[in-house]
Amino acid sequence: MVELLAPAGNLEMVKAAVENGANAIYVGARGWSRRRDAYELADEQLHEAIAIAHAGGAKLRVAINTNMQSCEIPSLLQKMDKFVGWGVDGAIMTDVGAMAQVHRRFPHLVLHASIGANIVNNQDVKFYRSIGVSQVVADTKLTFRELVARQAELDAGIEVLIHANNCYTYLGKCWMSPYHRLERTTDNFGKDLFRGSPNRGGLDYRVCLEQWDLFDGEALLEPQIALKNDAFFYLDDIPALIDLGVHCLKIQGREYPVPLVASIVRFYRELIDACLAKPADQPFDLDPWRLRLEAIRAERDGRRGNMTLVLLNEARQPVPQPA
Amino acid sequence: MGSFELNTTISNLRSLLESDLSAYDAVYLGNIYCRLFEDNFLERMDDLKEGITRVKDQGLRAYVTSYAAPRNDALPKVQMALETAAAAGADAVEVHNLGVLRMVHEQFPGMAAHVGGFANVYTDAGAEVLKEYGAVRFTPNYEISLDEVESITRGAGMPAEIQVHGKMPLGVSDYCFLLEYEQHWPEKCPVLCQKQLFLKQGDWAMRSVGKGVLSGKDLCMLEHLPALVAAGHRVFRIEAAYETPAYRLQIGQVYRAALESAVAGDGTVDESAWQAIREHTAVGLCNGFYFGRTGSEYVGKRVEAIAACG
Repeated sequence: MVELLAPAGNLEMVKAAVENGANAIYVGARGWSRRRDAYELADEQLHEAIAIAHAGGAKLRVAINTNMQSCEIPSLLQKMDKFVGWGVDGAIMTDVGAMAQVHRRFPHLVLHASIGANIVNNQDVKFYRSIGVSQVVADTKLTFRELVARQAELDAGIEVLIHANNCYTYLGKCWMSPYHRLERTTDNFGKDLFRGSPNRGGLDYRVCLEQWDLFDGEALLEPQIALKNDAFFYLDDIPALIDLGVHCLKIQGREYPVPLVASIVRFYRELIDACLAKPADQPFDLDPWRLRLEAIRAERDGRRGNMTLVLLNEARQPVPQPA
Repeated sequence: MGSFELNTTISNLRSLLESDLSAYDAVYLGNIYCRLFEDNFLERMDDLKEGITRVKDQGLRAYVTSYAAPRNDALPKVQMALETAAAAGADAVEVHNLGVLRMVHEQFPGMAAHVGGFANVYTDAGAEVLKEYGAVRFTPNYEISLDEVESITRGAGMPAEIQVHGKMPLGVSDYCFLLEYEQHWPEKCPVLCQKQLFLKQGDWAMRSVGKGVLSGKDLCMLEHLPALVAAGHRVFRIEAAYETPAYRLQIGQVYRAALESAVAGDGTVDESAWQAIREHTAVGLCNGFYFGRTGSEYVGKRVEAIAACG
């Protein structure tokens, strides 16, 4: 049975995700995931999130998928001691060294290689399997044909993002944002934060979405070049993905309002259930779902556009220098 | 290896034949961003074999790089490049993808593997895992500081290769946006991306090479070489995959002389060095992330020299 994995940027969103039919929810440990701290949970909140998810029959995964510093790995393992003790069902990670150490310490914990690991070929999957990863998030740029090839040849679980951003660059292999602005700070618990670096747990200023002009030396060649960066919803491929036997359909969006995330989760829950209930010999009519998705998409696009403007503005602000 | 290694990158045989490599100890052959790059060594095995031979005939070490983000359909060609590297006596291969590292480890166990910057080495624990897969050297992820690099080299016992000059990688894509516009221009793929193309907005600038995004400013560590040497670093790279032979030669000469001075305990840099750098700098200079700051900033004492490069 395919799993519907929902995001949660706060406890209210955890509840909403459970109530709207998510089989699993992922939350970011504060300071340790690929989102700004406003959308991450403090340890005690994470404890509560596990309880809420389990009470609703769902699993709870913790995203600790920053590319951390060497000196932070002992702190990470201490955190994981707590989370595993509280019954967390899995960890989403990026750094291969941290993954190997977490696997050695908690051999039964399910490890998920994050989108930030940028797993783009079957040899990659085998590498991650060898260090203890059992599920991998498919890069958003992979074609359906590549997913089919992966599913046929490998024993790793595949997670497919069905609502996410498809950046111009490969996720986990982009430093455009911190090249333009990087602010080093620490949170109240002494955790280093890298504001401007999504790979390091800060935030992404989305500088790729700026209106770039293309110059050949000093000569303007093309004004207002658009680097492709789309937020997408999967719809047409959902029945085929289910038939293919992917393990998990994952929704991104911890940074969106709770009602919007709730409506996305409800939409996909009902779509998946309808696909599964459809008799095998009958076609699946996606048209009614298309209409419903358009309303969700319009709200998401509005929110995303506003957020992009705020981030681009923030990227232009000077970085406070240490006294 | 002498007291240090200075290396550079060359994408194809034409560029190799046009380049004076007297300033270098080693060369990486191949373009990591695009399979369509003009006569990319990684797609032309005869050229790659000849390139390895020509580099070694000059008494230099020949390294073969590999793609930054190879999908399944690129792996057969990667396999051929690895086989060619092994057969032609390449001194090492550079891997940016952990699946390719696995291929090297399993099929070419005697081949030295250098882990490239796109492989995302951020921690000593990560470097240790890659060491178990045969890695003998790593380029740190581009966004970590020198302090972090030191903790990795110390913790994992593996030397780092430090980019000291050139455009710094900022990202890799599967999609070349230049192809959308090429009908407007006289140059076409596969040479279009070799033009000096910059994406600019206000005071922001990035170099575009189609599937790759590079820093607009040249990363420049010239005045920081004594500190790098004092920290124990001995392998240095001038990133020049999209640069001219003149850039490769003159910047190489500047750094060779400065590194020899630094290793000898002399930190002075001749003024003519800054003049040479100025001549090959379109947008300005930066230090990347080496000092824990915004990547496009420059930290140093040579304020006037740096300003003149802007």
